[in-house]
Amino acid sequence: MEKGATICLKGAQAEAAAKALAFRLIELGRNAERIDDVMVKRLGGAKRTAFVCELLGRNGVFAVATAPGIRPEGGSLAVELDEHDTPDFAAEKIVDELAERGLLRLNMAQYTPDEEELIRKRLADLGYVE
Amino acid sequence: MAGRQAKRVLVVGLDCAAPRFLFGPERFDMPNAQRLAANGCWGRLRSCDPPITVPAWACMTSGKDPGVLGCYGFRNRRDYSYEGMATANASAIREKRVWDILSREGRKVVVLGVPQTYPVKPVNGWLVADFLAPDTRADYTYPKTLKGELEKAVGTYLLDVKDFRTDEKDALLDRIFALMHNRFDAAHYLMTGKPWDFFMMVEMGVDRLHHAFWKYCDPGHPKYEPGNPYEHVFREYYQALDARLGELLALAGDETAVMVVSDHGARAMLGGICINQWLIENGWLTLAEAPNGRTRIEDCTIDWPRTRAWASGGYYGRVFLNVEGREPQGVIPAAEYDVCLNELIAAIEAMPGPGGQPLGNRALRPRDLYRETNGVPPDLFVYFGGLGWRSVGAVGFDGIYTFENDTGSDDANHDFDGIFIMDDKTGRMGGELKGLHLMDVAPTILDWFGVAVPADMQGKVIG
Repeated sequence: MEKGATICLKGAQAEAAAKALAFRLIELGRNAERIDDVMVKRLGGAKRTAFVCELLGRNGVFAVATAPGIRPEGGSLAVELDEHDTPDFAAEKIVDELAERGLLRLNMAQYTPDEEELIRKRLADLGYVE
Repeated sequence: MAGRQAKRVLVVGLDCAAPRFLFGPERFDMPNAQRLAANGCWGRLRSCDPPITVPAWACMTSGKDPGVLGCYGFRNRRDYSYEGMATANASAIREKRVWDILSREGRKVVVLGVPQTYPVKPVNGWLVADFLAPDTRADYTYPKTLKGELEKAVGTYLLDVKDFRTDEKDALLDRIFALMHNRFDAAHYLMTGKPWDFFMMVEMGVDRLHHAFWKYCDPGHPKYEPGNPYEHVFREYYQALDARLGELLALAGDETAVMVVSDHGARAMLGGICINQWLIENGWLTLAEAPNGRTRIEDCTIDWPRTRAWASGGYYGRVFLNVEGREPQGVIPAAEYDVCLNELIAAIEAMPGPGGQPLGNRALRPRDLYRETNGVPPDLFVYFGGLGWRSVGAVGFDGIYTFENDTGSDDANHDFDGIFIMDDKTGRMGGELKGLHLMDVAPTILDWFGVAVPADMQGKVIG
């Protein structure tokens, strides 16, 4: 099974970046859970939440935490967000970092079979391929 | 770098723009481009191998060769099966492109119509994808909201010229002009409406114009007829393009460093070489059934146990060997691969033209061209007659030479050299530069911004 990780976000637009990151990870075929203050309260505090995050990570889930004090012992990534980054772009940078650490495979986004055929015909029409 | 750092950088890409029309003795009157060249420097920009839109723009903007990118043309083998071909869109490019690096440096970027940018990836700014987007119902912008905004500003965003293969040349010419104006309208909107440090656009109309109208405009083409109604459309188009370029230069201002570049050039296409027909006639390829008329090789039943090589068509040829242990029904023992490949290279390069004269073909091994060969490269690239002839993959022709094109008229092929004009506004560089390569573009842009050039970029900083 692929491993997950806990990604702790701090700084400008952390909530929006967490939302964008969770969305992007799910788009890439992975499971992600957002861990905010409300979740920490429900889980009974930061220490227990960190333990839950570790369990999630071991089971292939990415925990995207914006609540303070979440410091799982292994497999975590602390990110200080740049204030000039949009949430989507901040998420993209993190996705790249996860891929570089071998935690995520960036699968090629394929066309649907219909789109592939449409593009092939377009390219043939333009003379690029037959 | 001191004293040369640019506040902003504008890159205008003109797909297929040919040096002869900007720099040669027959150059068109293009005051804006020529002023830029006179104030800065200019030259021929050697394309990558193969010289084709995909992967050339990706090579230019990443500073990496096609082998490193693992992208050898528009359609690449997914694996070593006989069927699996996939179109190389943005997802095929894993290396950072210049706007990715600048985005991470906190620079605001605008990217418009650059090939291999669909599906879109977030940038620190705005991105409008290229003609590899299926249609405008797709999410072809970043952010998504830009799509509606752009369409409100310029009307329908034209991904490409529709109905390209047509004999209705007047209407086609109108559509090619419309594509150019649509792209520059979008550029105008983005340039004035968004804050940017780096702005790059690519205009595809030049390529479409060349392929559709070359024989009408080039006295060197065998089918050229003096006095034909389209004789001056190249000049008219390039001059209209120059006027739109002038608008952008005025908007960009005096402190913006500017490049005008193309990914490859263009030349007259004299005909096509039916490469699979030739492989059949020379014992390399065997079909299980004779084709019923002209047939795409993909639609033929190939007798794989009796086939050593097959090929695909396009502006250049790609040849694949059927290797034991690699292809499902491979027949060439791995130990004999090099001997076999050398035999094929020698035969292809010795191929005569229709009059018996040498064609001057080149057959090149990817491993000799690139630093690495990622993905699934062809075993050979073939340039027929210095790109004077295209590669025809279909079979069922009477011979190996054809002067027709089943998909409609196309009288231009790509050429190895594109254009390069640069004015970094320092006044330090002038005149013609030699030895430029399209992989030099990305490091030069990074250098302008004072951003460290990654050590694995293969190009050099110009200047």
